Amino acid sequence: MTSATDAMRIDPEEMRDAARRLLADKVDRRAGWEGRPDAGKALEADMGELGWFQLTAPEAQGGLGQPFDVLAPIYEEMGKSLAPVWLSSTMAAIDALNAAGTADAAEAITAVFEQGWRIAPLILPSGQSLARASLPMVPGVPGATHLLVVEEAGGAGALVAATAPGVTLAEVETWDLGRAYGSVVLSEVGDVACRLDAAQVLPVLRAHGELALAWDSIGGAAQCLAETVEYMLGRQQFGRAIASFQALKHRAADHKVAIELARSLVVRASDVFAVRGEDWQVLATQARILACEAYAAMAEDSIQLFGGVGFTWEYNPHLFLKRALVNQIIGGSPDELRDRVAADVCRRAMASRT
Amino acid sequence: MSEQDAIACLRIEIREWLAQNLPGNWRERQRGDDVAGFLAMQREWFGKLVEAGYATPHWPSEWPGGGRSLAEQIALFEELARGGAPRMSLFFVSLYHAAMTLVECGTDAQRARHLPAILKGEVWCQGFSEPGAGSDLAALRTRAERKGDRYIVSGQKIWSTLGHFADQCLLLVRTDSSGPKQAGITFLLMDMKSKGIDVRPIRQVTGDEEFAEIFLDEVEIPVENLVGKENEGWKVAQVTLSSERGLTLVELTERMALSLWRLVLAATGGTGDTAALDVSVARTVVDISARIEAMRAMLATLMENRIAGREAVGDASILKLAYSRLSRDFTALGLRLQGFAAMRDTGYVLGAGYETGNWMFDFLNSYQYNIAGGSNEIQRNIISERVLNMPREK
Repeated sequence: MTSATDAMRIDPEEMRDAARRLLADKVDRRAGWEGRPDAGKALEADMGELGWFQLTAPEAQGGLGQPFDVLAPIYEEMGKSLAPVWLSSTMAAIDALNAAGTADAAEAITAVFEQGWRIAPLILPSGQSLARASLPMVPGVPGATHLLVVEEAGGAGALVAATAPGVTLAEVETWDLGRAYGSVVLSEVGDVACRLDAAQVLPVLRAHGELALAWDSIGGAAQCLAETVEYMLGRQQFGRAIASFQALKHRAADHKVAIELARSLVVRASDVFAVRGEDWQVLATQARILACEAYAAMAEDSIQLFGGVGFTWEYNPHLFLKRALVNQIIGGSPDELRDRVAADVCRRAMASRT
Repeated sequence: MSEQDAIACLRIEIREWLAQNLPGNWRERQRGDDVAGFLAMQREWFGKLVEAGYATPHWPSEWPGGGRSLAEQIALFEELARGGAPRMSLFFVSLYHAAMTLVECGTDAQRARHLPAILKGEVWCQGFSEPGAGSDLAALRTRAERKGDRYIVSGQKIWSTLGHFADQCLLLVRTDSSGPKQAGITFLLMDMKSKGIDVRPIRQVTGDEEFAEIFLDEVEIPVENLVGKENEGWKVAQVTLSSERGLTLVELTERMALSLWRLVLAATGGTGDTAALDVSVARTVVDISARIEAMRAMLATLMENRIAGREAVGDASILKLAYSRLSRDFTALGLRLQGFAAMRDTGYVLGAGYETGNWMFDFLNSYQYNIAGGSNEIQRNIISERVLNMPREK
């Protein structure tokens, strides 16, 4: 939530320009795929220096008190550039800590800027707790200084240092070589930085995370479409560019429609989330479903529209495809997301009966 | 008062007016009603809208109810949809296509003759498409030859909405075939009672007759019915085609959003008990609801851009494609959820949106949005060529 007055508002389009400049300069999007390690570290340091972690944090904690609007273009541009950083992990954690509203949580937010904390959120499924948990693949764990652990069912939550007794982290290799993942094992963790109420932090953590994935997907899908069309314009068969075949043009047009339709909902859901307006949780979930579906469909088709070379490691469609499929499944499959909001959607529909 | 406050006030005013004036039983009256009943209901409702000034928000300000901004017009359409009012089916072409063409391109005499008549219920249809000129409208071949002070017109028009009830017709004819096809087209106003006109309703897959064919055999049209200049009718036709400015989609999308409960009702076997909802069905409802919300958001942005004069090429095509697919999927889901019972012809409510009460009718009817206003294939050409800059079809 924001406390910035209108005069203090940062123009989201200025943020977009800043993000574009940084990402164009610093992102080596094939680094992870070509065995050039640590691609994300320098970029994350730059983001810290530019003050991005302060953007939406409350002013009382040393933040800039901006609404979510300023993050949306950053997430979108990161999706476009395939940036190898889980910026949204720490950003969503800041939002969630702010929602917790305790003095401990407020101090933790300040520590993100002053001590360079990087936080990986971690939602424990039913049956797991701080006493005993094992998650095989958590985004942003390599490099995280802290874990924001929330029990989905039990209602407990805590911020835990990565170095606390009972916490074991290890980097894992995934198909998404563009971003880092790690396994987490918790065993009788007692030393926590602060305790949190899951009922307060979980909805914000989820909605922020879902909108970040939605924007990453919108940016990625649009970029994937642009690169696919560009390739089709250059690739000749039967003496003409394959982009001139109507069957292929119409497929590209359908992807454009799906992406723009999804983008409209992501914009709307972000606006509503920024002010925690009506249905903010449901809209964030629906926005992610639609955006990830559009991205996955685009990236899958890109492999085919590139012809034979779409199947090679050398060309880029697989970068988008792997990222799109991860975006769609991480933290909950599309059906799990649907199940989360279905009752609300149906109940509201019946309530509007005329 | 700020524009926003003014619109909020307008919304309240319309809601109050609807509470007083909307015939509460119109749906019952129109379910399975005959043509005479449909026309009577349409005239009754139109009369009330005209009297309140709600039929003409887009007309110039010297007209009663006129001079309203596009934002106010959007609010009006949304409120009429939310209030569950009948659609303005019979008079839509008169109020928008005919009136706006005359306002922008007509003569003073044409305006003086037709605009007051439209408010009294003169019904107009559009004579644009032909069997060989649909997507490729400029290929039209209906011939007009000037003889003294009249044009003699012969040919065939098709897909004229409610043409069989029309008093007047916006007619595109060919007056010159020597140059490029867009040149040589002339725009005329045709009295549907003229000699030589044969109108035949087209029965659609729904069994309904919403469109007509118009056969013209040496029909005489006075030269004073020319709109714009001879051979420059293509420009006038563009004015006609852009006259409704997206308001139809605003209305239809709003009606769809407000009909989501009908899907849930069908999904629960008519009980509305959402706790008993099948998981896979509920998931599909979530997706449809997401797409409806996305469609609403996308439309709102398009209309804002239109108001601000910064609409981008292809925006309308993207919207239209998204809508036609959503409309099909929405009605197909209703059909599937209702099961075999949906195959029973229970009669449908005339003049309604997605609330005809018969999913089979709505599903069949959804196919018209793939064609009307430019086929989906033409929209895909526009998007791929003009938005994505892919090579043009030759």
